Formats: sequence, C-alpha cells, structure tokens
Amino acid sequence: MGNNGHVTATIDGKRVEASPGESIWTAARRAGIDVPYLCASSALKPYGSCRLCVCEIEGVRGFPASCTTPVRDGMIVRTDGEKTNHHRRNIVELYLSEQGEGAGEAAEQLQKYASRFGLQTIRYRAPVKRKYEIDDSNPFFSFNPNKCIACARCVRACDEIQGTFAISMLGRGFASSVVAGNDVGFAASNCVSCGACVKECPTDALFEKAVAVAGKPEYVGRTTCAYCGVGCNFDVGMSGGRIVTMKPVEASPVNWGHACVKGRFGWDYIYSRDRLLKPMVRKGTDWVPIEWDDAIKLIADKFSAIRAKHGPDALAGVSSARGTNEENYLMSRFMRAAIGTNNVDNCARVCHSATVSGMMEVFGTWAATNSLADIDKAKLLMIIGSNPTEGHPVTGARIKRAVRRGARLIVIDPRKIELCRYADVHLQLRAGTNVAVFNGMANVIVEEGLYNEDFIRARTENFEVWVEMVKKYTPEEVEKISGVPADLLRKAARLYATSGASMCCHGLGVSEHRWGSYGIMTMCNLAALTGHIGRPGTGINPLRGQNNVQGSCDVGSVPVNYTSYQKLDDPKVRALFQEITGHPLPQRKGWKLPEMWDAALDGRLRGMWITGYDVAQTDPNLNKVRAALSKLDFLVVHDLFFNETAKYAHLVLPGASFVEKDGTFTNGERRIQRVRKIVDPPPGIKSDWEAICEVATAMGIPMSYDHPSKIMDEIALQTPGMKGVSYERLDAGFGLQWPVPEAGHPGTVVMHTEKFPRGKAKFVPVEYMPPSEEPTEDYPYTLVTGRVLHHYNSGAQTRHSRLMDFVDTDVLEIHVDDASELGLKTGDNALLKSPRAQVTLPVMISDRVPPGTVFTTFHFPELNLNTLLSSSSDDLSKCPEYKVSTVALSLAPAAKGNGRSNGHGKARKVRRGAPKARIIE
Amino acid sequence: MGARFYVPNDVSAIAAGADRVANTLTNKGAMVVRTSSRGAFFLEPLVETEGSGGRVGWTHATEKDAAKILVGRGAKPVDRIPFLAKQTRFTFARAGLIDPLSLEDYKIHGGFRGLTKALGLDPQKIIDEVKASALRGRGGAAFPAGVKWQTTKDAPGDQKYVVANADEGDPGTFSDRMIMEGEPYRLIEGMVICARAVGATKGYIYARSEYPHGIRKLRAAIARATEAGWLGHKIQGTDLDFELEVFVGAGAYICGEETALLESLEGKRGMVRPKPPFPAVEGLYRKPTVVNNVITFATVPDVLDRGAAWHASIGTEKSKGTMPLQLAGCIKQGGLVEVPFGITLESVIHDFGGGLPKGSKFKAVQVGGPLGSIFPEKLLKTPICFDEFAKAGGILGHGGIVVFDHETDMVDLARHFMEFTAEESCGKCTPCRVGSSRAREILEQIRDGRGRPEDLDTLRDLSDTMKMTSLCALGGLAPFPVLTALQYFPKEFERKPAKR
Repeated sequence: MGNNGHVTATIDGKRVEASPGESIWTAARRAGIDVPYLCASSALKPYGSCRLCVCEIEGVRGFPASCTTPVRDGMIVRTDGEKTNHHRRNIVELYLSEQGEGAGEAAEQLQKYASRFGLQTIRYRAPVKRKYEIDDSNPFFSFNPNKCIACARCVRACDEIQGTFAISMLGRGFASSVVAGNDVGFAASNCVSCGACVKECPTDALFEKAVAVAGKPEYVGRTTCAYCGVGCNFDVGMSGGRIVTMKPVEASPVNWGHACVKGRFGWDYIYSRDRLLKPMVRKGTDWVPIEWDDAIKLIADKFSAIRAKHGPDALAGVSSARGTNEENYLMSRFMRAAIGTNNVDNCARVCHSATVSGMMEVFGTWAATNSLADIDKAKLLMIIGSNPTEGHPVTGARIKRAVRRGARLIVIDPRKIELCRYADVHLQLRAGTNVAVFNGMANVIVEEGLYNEDFIRARTENFEVWVEMVKKYTPEEVEKISGVPADLLRKAARLYATSGASMCCHGLGVSEHRWGSYGIMTMCNLAALTGHIGRPGTGINPLRGQNNVQGSCDVGSVPVNYTSYQKLDDPKVRALFQEITGHPLPQRKGWKLPEMWDAALDGRLRGMWITGYDVAQTDPNLNKVRAALSKLDFLVVHDLFFNETAKYAHLVLPGASFVEKDGTFTNGERRIQRVRKIVDPPPGIKSDWEAICEVATAMGIPMSYDHPSKIMDEIALQTPGMKGVSYERLDAGFGLQWPVPEAGHPGTVVMHTEKFPRGKAKFVPVEYMPPSEEPTEDYPYTLVTGRVLHHYNSGAQTRHSRLMDFVDTDVLEIHVDDASELGLKTGDNALLKSPRAQVTLPVMISDRVPPGTVFTTFHFPELNLNTLLSSSSDDLSKCPEYKVSTVALSLAPAAKGNGRSNGHGKARKVRRGAPKARIIE
Repeated sequence: MGARFYVPNDVSAIAAGADRVANTLTNKGAMVVRTSSRGAFFLEPLVETEGSGGRVGWTHATEKDAAKILVGRGAKPVDRIPFLAKQTRFTFARAGLIDPLSLEDYKIHGGFRGLTKALGLDPQKIIDEVKASALRGRGGAAFPAGVKWQTTKDAPGDQKYVVANADEGDPGTFSDRMIMEGEPYRLIEGMVICARAVGATKGYIYARSEYPHGIRKLRAAIARATEAGWLGHKIQGTDLDFELEVFVGAGAYICGEETALLESLEGKRGMVRPKPPFPAVEGLYRKPTVVNNVITFATVPDVLDRGAAWHASIGTEKSKGTMPLQLAGCIKQGGLVEVPFGITLESVIHDFGGGLPKGSKFKAVQVGGPLGSIFPEKLLKTPICFDEFAKAGGILGHGGIVVFDHETDMVDLARHFMEFTAEESCGKCTPCRVGSSRAREILEQIRDGRGRPEDLDTLRDLSDTMKMTSLCALGGLAPFPVLTALQYFPKEFERKPAKR
C-alpha cells in the first residue's frame, strides 16, 4: 500500500492505482480499460447483476464481477481473457434470448457486445421471452419491459439518487420485472418524473418519448437550467434541428448527474405556440404588431419625454431574476447611465431580500456561506421554511441522500413537507413565529452550555448583550408563542449544537415575513453561537428560488446599492462608473419594488420597463399593483409570453429563452455558470440585452457589446468579488463561485473561514413580534403560500409545458378537522376572503397542514390568489409577507365542479383556457 | 406416583399420530410428558417410559396400543434400537429425552454449562476455543466458525449482530427444525456464547415460515430464557446484554443464502448481495454480523463445555466433530443420523437407512439438497466429510441425503432440480435468472424426446457459465445435479420421442 493510502494493482498489464475499497471496474475504467458492463454505473452502488464485467484474478477461483470486487494491493487482474469473453458471449446470448416480442430491435449496447464477443446465433430453441405491456402513462417517457434486462439500474437510481423509491422489482427469477409503485404504472405511482431511471437504463427499455419520435440526439452544448436556484447543468441534445432532450451532467458539482422533472423535461415551453414572436403595441383594446425598430424608437421617445417632463426618477426598470447576469447589469446600467436614476429592482426583492438584510447585519454578507456539496459533508441539516423536494428537487434529493448516509435532520416548517418523514425532529411552528423558535433554541443552547466558547470569543461580538435577551425565551415561553412543544425544541437545539457540523438551509419561509430580516438574524445567531459556520458542512444557506436571484442582485440590479452591494456614494465606485459609462452614478437611492407601486399610484412614477417578471400575478396585494400599473403613462413588458402584466402594457416585446442566448446565471451557492446559446431564437426575437442597448443608443447614449462576454468583463471590472471572472474561465469548468477576487483565484467554496466581511459576527438581539395579521373571528385561518414540484413561480414557463399534464390548477390544502367543520370535501371549491379580495380555489384535504392553517400556490393567474394578500412587508428589506395572511373560508356557491385530487397532485387537473391576446394582423 | 409416558411433539411425530396417542393416554389418566423426537421418524409415534435400565418404548404407537402401554407391556429398550444405538449423538444427545421448553430439563441434562463457562472467559478465549475446535459451519459452506467470529469481533462497529440462519429450505432436511422444536435452548445458548465472543447485543433467528411449530417454541423459549436471566440485560449477573428475536421469512429459498437473508431481515426484498464485503464485516444494517446455521450454534455449547480438544478429536483431518445427516427418499429408515465425519455414504444408507424398500433398487443418491451432485453407486464409498465430497465433485451442504431408486427418470430429475433453481432464483444475476430457465427448457426438450445432439453441448457450455459467473451459490451450484446426472447416466439423455 502506498503512503497515500492507495493500493496498486495490475490490470491487463497496466499498473493501476486505486483508493481503498474502490472496485476493479472503476479503477480499470479510469485507466482506460474498456471493461464491458450493463448493470454498473458510476452513479450507483455496485450491484453485480449483468456479470459482463467478470474478470480473472490471479489466485482467485472463478470469474468474479469486477464491479463488485474491490482492488487489493498487488492484485493481478485480467479482464479480456478468452474464457472470460466466452462467458460474456453466453451472457449476451441469454439477454438476447429473453427480449420480448414487442422489444423491437435489440438495444445498441447489446448489439455492440454481441458483435464484440462474436455472438452470431442464439442456440436456444423456442425460449420463453419477456411478455409485458408497454407503460406509456408518463407524459415524458415510456417503459417497454420487453427490452428490460432486469438489471435494476432504474430501481437503484430511484432509491439511491432521487430517494423516491417509486420503482421496484416484482417477482423473482425469470419473472423479475420492473414495476412503478404497486404495479400501477408510472403516472399513478409516486414517481416524480426526475428522469434518473431513464438516464440509467442501459437498454432503452425506459426511453424519452421526444427522443423516440425525433431520433437519436446529438449533444451540441452544455448549459444551465433556467428554473430554480440550484442551477443544474445539462447537455442539450438536438435532433432534426430541434432540441429533444436535456441530459443532466454527471461531473457537475451542482447536480452530480441528477435533475428534476422541470429541468429535465419541462423546457418544452420554448417551443410553445403561445410564445410572443413580435413586438406589439396597444391601440385601444387591440394589440398591433410592429417592427423592432419602431418599438425601440417608441420606447426611446416615450422615456425621453417622461424624463424631460418629470425628471429621471419618474422612470423605473425592473429586471428579472430569471434573466442573465448580463441582462440584469445592463438594465441597471441603462437606468443609471442612460436615464439617470437608481430606480431599478428585480424579483429578488420579493423573495430573499430579507436574507440579504439579515445576513448583512450579523455577518456582513448576502449569500450562502457554503456550497451544495457541503450537504454531503454535514452531520446535521436544519431545513427551515423550505420545501426542497418540491422547490429545489435536486437539492432535496441530495438532502435525502445525506440522511440515508446518517446525517441528522431537523425540519422547521408549519407544514409536514416530504422531508419530515426523514427528520429526527419536525418543529411544526405557527407561521410567522421563526424569531421565537430560534431565540428559544438559543436559550436551550445557552442554558445547557452547548455553545462554542472558543468561537464566540475569537470570532463574534455583542454576546453579553444578546445573551441577556434570549434568557426569557425559555422553551415553555416559546411553546406559547409558536405552538412547538418545549421538549421538541430542546431536542432540536441539542442536536443542532452538538452534531459537530450543522448546516442550515432556508427558504422563503424565513424571509417572506413581516419580520423576515429578524428571522434571518436569529437563525444566524444560532450559527455564531455554536460555531457552525466557516467550516465545511455548516453555515447559513439560502436556497435561492429563481435561477438567477443571486446574480441579479450581485450585478447591481437593486435600487440602494451598486454591484456586490457596494455603496452608491463610494468615491471609487462613482469614479469607475463615470469612467466606464461616461455618466455620473446617480446618488439618490432608488425605490424598492413595493415603493414603486406607491410612487406610481401618486404620480411620481410615470414609466416602467419590466422584463421577465409577472408582477401583476406574483406580487402581493394584486389589486393595488394592478391599479399602479394602470396609472403609468408608459409601460414596456418584455417576456416570452403574454403575461398578466402585459395586459397593462403599452408595448410588449418578445423575449428570448435561455437556450437562445449567451450569458451567465449565478446559482444559490454563488456559482457563476454559463448559459449558452444552443439554438437561434424564433425569427425576429432579440435578447433582452440587445433590446436594452438599442434603446439606450436610440436615446443618444450609445451602448453596444459584440457579445455578452464583454458585458461580463465590464461587470468584473467594477465588482471586487468578481474581478477574476471571465467567460474564458467560466467555460473551462463548472463556472466559478464568487468571491473570485483576482484572475487566478479558484473561487470560494466555503466562506468566512478566517473572518467575516464585517470583521466579527455580531449577535443581534431581536425580540419576537407577531405577524401583521393574526387570526380573528372574521378571518380565522392563516393562509400560507408556496409552490409545488411541477410548477415554478408565476407558471409562465411551466404552464406552457407538458408539466400541465401533472398539475393544472392551484388547490387549497386544508386539514381534515377544518374541512369537516366547514363542510368542505376534497374537490369542492372553497371561497377565501380577506379584507382585500375574495378568490375561489379547489379544496384538497391534507394532513400536511395543521388545523387553522391552509396552504396554496400561486402558479395560476386566473385564480388571482395574490389579490388576497396585504402589502405588508419586512421593514428592512421590503420583502413582502407572503407567508402569513388571514382569511375566512366557506364553501363557494355554485361550485364549478373541478379540482378532483388524490392527494398527490396527480388529479389536480382543471382545463382552463390560457388568456390570449387578440392580435390584429 | 404413576409412570410417566414420553410422547414426542415434534411435527413429524405429530404427523404420524403422536397427538392422538398422547390424548388417549392422558384421558386414561396417565401422566404424559411431551418431548422432542429422537429423529427415528420411521418408528414414530415412539412412546417411551422409564424402564429399569433406561427408557423403553413402543414404536408406531396408536390409540389401540394405549392399554398395552399403560400396563407397560411389550416395550423394548430404546437404546438398543440399532438406528439409534449406532449413532454418535452430541448435538442431538438429548433428542427425545427432554421437554423442549423446560429450563429445568435443559439444565439437568447439562444445558447452559457451555455458556456458564463462556461467561467466565475473556471473549478472545472463547473465539480461540472455537477456532481450536475446528468447528466448520453446518449451513453448507463449511467456513471455519472461529475465523468468522474473529472477523466480526475485530471489525469496527458501534453495533454488532448475531444471526441464526434457520431458513432450512433444502427439501428433505430437518435438523434445524428438530433443534428449534426439540431443544431451542441449545440454539439460544450457542448464540449467547457467540454474542459474548464477538461483542454483539442483538440477535435474530431467521426462521422459515413453514416452521410454525418451531417458531412458537423458539418464541416461548426466548421469553422463558429472558425471564430466567439467560437472555436480555446483564445475563446471569454479568455485563453481557443480548436480546434475541425470531424473524419469520416469507417463503423464498434464496433467503437461506446469508446475504439475501440479511436483506430480508432488514425488511427488503430477499436479494443476494455481492461479497465482499462479507457479513462478518458488513452484515445486518451494514454492521458486523455473525451469520451461522442453527446446527453450528447448537454445536457451540458442547465445544465450550467439553473443550476444543474434545471436538477436534472427532471426525477426519479437516472435518471435525459430528454431522447430523438427514435421510430421506427411497429408503427404509428415514430420520436424523448424527455420526462422526468419516463414515461412508454407503454405511449411512445401509447401516442406518436400512437400505431401500423391498422391490426398489438403488440408482442414485443426492447429498446436500437440490443443488447437490447426484452420485451413482460407484461413489457410495465416499466418506462423509467436506473435502472428500469436494474431491468427488459433490457437496455435503446441510447434510440432506435423498435416495433414488431404479424407476427414477434421471433427465426428469435433472430438469426438476433446474426448475427448482429457475423458480427460486432471486433474479439478480443473469446466469441464474435467465440461464436456469434456458437450461430447464433444454432439459424439457430432451425429456420429451425433442432434444438434438448439440443441445447437450449448449447445456454444458451454459452450465459452465452459470457455475463460473453467477453471483451466489444458487446459480453457481444449480448445474451440479444436471451435470452429474449427465455424467453418470449419459444414455438417458439420448432419448427418442416417447411413443404415444
């Protein structure tokens, strides 16, 4: 054995190094030896089914499988002996002999091995073959068991990679067959359509329908998913000039070859017939297509006029956290340099802005302190206000995998999310009581002496002041506020403090509150108290909701700071801005989104440009938002689809999708990753960045770049943490995790290992304060909103995808006790009333919510859910209080009779006509 | 006090009518004690009472014999029944003597002496003793028990397990069942000794569901032993904790394979795991686990009690101790035969089995269960021991011996055993999953006269791939009955279509 712990073996005459426990198969493959296989996979544990990888080992009897046999030091292995190959021939013959009538041509891999091992004829006469029905029930893939070789790679993928356990082997011996659920077919099973099984299948028994129709794809490029903030990497497969498949990238540190249904299959909206294809201008109640040049001129003229009459601050730009960094930067540059205002914001305002303000206060930072790979290293995971298996499914699968390897799990959520089944402790708190719960955990840790004294001494400040404050948050007091049993709170606190490496991942259930920033601060206090920060497997890690919510803020599309939250009045920043743009950096702080609505309503704001963000569907208190939009003199909406906001626009511009443009997204672990143009956009569509440049130029302030990489170079120049970023470097691997302070810097996996950006972490004493609305006699139920697996935010993308086959309505989850009191059954329509509005939603009785709390999503604009919500928001960040409002509930009169449900979202289907614009040619 | 009458309540005896005899005797006012069986099943029901020179008994007793039995007429000394007299009974020494669930009986007859000794020994000394005894596993693989225990003891792990493989699935075998039904404390004692040796605190007996009587007895015995401080917390006042539980299988032969057994015990589908890692290092829930057969554990108390040297003095050079053989098939005297390793197969069949019934002529014998080789007459001189059997191309397995007479169709017999594998294959590896079905089809075609000369080449070639590349012993051994039938009875495989 070498002194590095490695062992050395001789395989086919080559000296091969292997790590202890590594199989002969993986070691041989690394050495470039082509050992045949069907059942083995680098993504799965050794299994030993196919026996094609058998080998000869000196001193060992028989032909052991190389995939299950660990390399021993000094081992002499031969993988291609004549006898070995003879056995392989016999095994391929057995496989071919069982292929069923409906199998069609044998899988490519089987044919390849048949010819490699010289198999010409099958010696068996009239062998019994596989005989099964094809399962076509899943919208995206089919299963033809007649081609199956029972290697169980699909079963193992579902178990080991995704952790859903939807697939099993049924029967034994020759009758072994793969079944979904309790042999009910994929659609009716608990399958989440992540596609891991399809990817693993070596014989095309599981195959993508799109590929089957279009033919074998050619992989033409690699890109980053445009859904959630995990930022999965995909190789894009094309056939016949169209994208037919997205294959998750094995080597990616983000998604390690895994994907979810949205990223893997739900990209088909790019080919939706509902895509906007031409700029359109409103003429009365009609929409008239116009040429791009005219559209650009119209914007330039209108914006110039408004600025001339009302000043630059009467204009605002809203960019999209779904757009690229380059586009977000350009929107901010356009507003600041061309218009002369800091009125620029993006959708991050309404999701994790409180995370930023909270983390700023305690650590001086505004992003995840650790990386997704740290989930594999953590000894305990605390998931707060986040439902990763639906909202961030690849991370959710990774968390489940961590639990299976032995990590402890705490879930803090008002709902019984899927992860609760894996959790050591579930603190089912009343929505809006995060601060009390975190202070209570701190109280236990302090009282029981479980804190990290060395860390507190060396790396924190304000402990003494703070510790006085938490004294009164005894578990019993906290139980009164939050409803969390005192003993459970103690258990959670002890587990978190003593694991050795505890990692927090939180979602909008912490930030989207009246006191969201405070919730974040109290959570950060826990990390500082225990020293669970600045090391692998620890930290505070917001799971960012949209693909580029991190980057859109990093590159300065925010009204009160510049890139990387640099101060607007910093002389260095101002000088650099002047030098690069030729214009001064405006000094008046801009309006945050909710402030923009107030400004529009009272006439201070006159013109807006909104890209890729459906404010008229997703912002809270929609009636107010819509009224504000209606007041504008000129509104430009730039989107893939004619969304709700477009209905208030004067001009609508068609946008390019993520596969139609170059750029970068920054995922939730600060990883700046390339988005690559794979196909041309439909004729006549410009990317956002091109449109912005042209409008600026038309306004007499020339802006032009020959490629988005040049925009990134400009960002890097002005952004300390991104100085070392360039497309050349991003293209060389899987992006870069900022801070990348200089050219050769490898990026930062774990932040704050030595010090915090603000020096020492500061314990911030914050008291619990109640949400803006608490249940009353008139409005006795607490409404919590969130999302489901198959949809994403406004649904702009997912509602134009076959994902609609799974879920095509929002539903109201309600506890059975409440439902029976109200006389509601699953499938009924419930009427929800708030002081602001009333809406109707199909009911789904569920034990996921506690009595008194109801839950729904806001993916479907026609339900107008967000009209119910108030404009209440977090003081510091203006992040809206999406997570708590109070409503009254009753059976809706004249039920429309929809919303049947089986509790898994399978039958949550109501066909609705999508609102379409009337187009006059 | 009147005489006591001993009537077995072993399931074989019950099948022969033991319950009826016992009830009749009880109804007539006799004191009846239900005991284990001596294993001479061809004599059951064997009713015994104490005679002047030891137990005397009535064979094939029925209700009609009650009067005779009650007055003590016509009984013969049990010790002099040749089938029993010629055996060397250690593991089954108390078979037929004791009430299976009586802790008193067990102790009076020397029970718990091995464990008591072990409790006073350093764990390593226990393992040294087992190693020195040269005890090899009785489940089939004949792996040295002490080496396995040592591996588990030395393997790092916060939790270790001891598991008894009581999934006695070979048709025609019943020695595990006899221990479970007849002397459950012996198994428990062996397992506790092992637990102390390897540092395990939890144990399971994985019993096949087809043994309801044995399962009931075991559960009752565990409860009583726990109450008496032979199991559970601080066993006999020492620092040893060991909890034991019976787990009932679900009817799959493959779960007798130790890794499939562990998967099943974890609540999963019974599928074979690749080895390494071996269960001794990564077993139940991936923790170090000793998996031994029931008979192996049942032998351990004597090894500790009488000493390693005693055990090592019995048997052949590499097969030490005794082997409980289980005789069945076309034989006069079926039952349990415990003999030292080394006596010939012929002696077992003739001296104990009494040869074949009248009108039947010996044709072949299969030793070691449905995967065992088929031996013709010329191999009857083979001594019963692991190495000689291996040399002769066979296996001893779990000690099942099934005799076939002259009317047996060897092709159909071969087909039958291949069908057994095809039915029982777990379906994990290709050679076994598909190969066994293909081999069965070829044998069917030959049996039905549809065979072609090249089929035998295919069969041999396929068999070789199954033997060499299968994941576990099921696929690896399945070809043996077929190949040996073909080797010793080649003519039968050259048949023409049957005339109809």
